[in-house]
Parts: sequence; structure tokens; C-alpha cells
Amino acid sequence: MNVVVSICIGILAVAIIVGLIRVLTAKDMGSRAVVGDLVYFSAIGMLTFIGMQVSSSIVLDGIFLASMVGILATIALSRILTRGYR
Amino acid sequence: MNDVLATTLVGIFGILGSLIVLASALAMFKVRDALSRINVFSPATGLGMPLIVIAAYVWTLDDRGFDWPSLFIAIVAVLCLIIVSSVASNTLSRSSVLSGQPIHRKTSPNRLAKPPAGVVDEDPDAPAGGADETAGRS
Repeated sequence: MNVVVSICIGILAVAIIVGLIRVLTAKDMGSRAVVGDLVYFSAIGMLTFIGMQVSSSIVLDGIFLASMVGILATIALSRILTRGYR
Repeated sequence: MNDVLATTLVGIFGILGSLIVLASALAMFKVRDALSRINVFSPATGLGMPLIVIAAYVWTLDDRGFDWPSLFIAIVAVLCLIIVSSVASNTLSRSSVLSGQPIHRKTSPNRLAKPPAGVVDEDPDAPAGGADETAGRS
């Protein structure tokens, strides 16, 4: 189980690094907002797998809460893009 | 649950979900504008993350056994990921269009670039002669 979980954490870490490189090379703010969302969800996945690795009992609760409040970050970024206008 | 079976299922769902998230991250280099990036990001939240939730549920099932609250939390988490991320993508793409982010010329179909069918698009700032010419042509 440890090997499988480590592989998943590694893949998600690569996804985060690729996304951060994309943030560095992107020129428009919309792309950066999307990549911010990608980094958020990858980090949630990594947190879930780390929870499995340390045999935490709140693995499902963590990903449940994160998926429910994940919209807040995206909506905040989109409001920033339009400078507060809807 | 059998330990080997649990490890296999967690491996299949977890690695597949992580690979889909990685594929979305790589696809962001292929497309050229923010709208298309929001579009290629949808598989990560709509398919990759639910697979990771299923992997977490299988792990919980192996670790603590079956109980109804865990199943409920897993189902609600999957539904939340699909519904909430759709609304979030919609909001983000709307705001990126409203704030005038550049759209690549090869983004297709780009129906926002031209007026809807049956609507005569007149420029109010155009000089009077040009507007008459456009009206006469249509």
C-alpha cells in the first residue's frame, strides 16, 4: 500500500510542478487563476494520500470538506479578475 | 476486505485519478487561452478527483470496515466535486470573458466573437456613412 500511495503522491507533485511552471510562463491572469485551481485540487489529493500513508482516520472527511469549499477559491479568483464586478 | 484486493483497487483508482490530474496539467501547455484551459481542467475535477475519492473510500473500507456514514460522505464528496466544480468553472470562464482575457484565434467554436444569428450588429461609434452602408448591405 505504501508504494502505491507514494506513486500517487509523486504523480500529483509532478502535476503541481507542471502547473507552477505554467504560472511562470502564462501571460494572462485567467490562465493563472485556472492553474491556481489545479494546484488546489492536486494539493487536496496529496493530502488525502498522505492521510492514507499515516493511517489517519479523517481521510474521507478532509477530501469531503475540501471539495465543498473548493468553489470559494475559484469564485474569489474570478471576482478578482473582474475587479469586484459580477 | 482482502488486503491484496484493497491495495490493487486503491492503486488502480488512485494512480488513474492522479494521472488524469497530471494530464490536465500537461494539457494546459497545449492550449493557448484561458477559456480552453478552464475547459481542459474539467476532467481533473470531474473524473480525476472522484477517482481519488473512490480510492480513499476503498482504503477506509479496508482500514475500518463498512459503515454508512463513510459511504454517505464519499457519495456526497463525489457529487460535490462534480456539481461544485462545474459551477466554479462556469463562474471563472464568465469572469475571464468579462475581464477581457485574450482569446486565441484557433479557439473554436468561439461564438462570443460574432453576434448571434439574426442579430444585426451595429457599431454605435461608427460614422453615420459607414452605418448606413452596413444597413443597406444587410
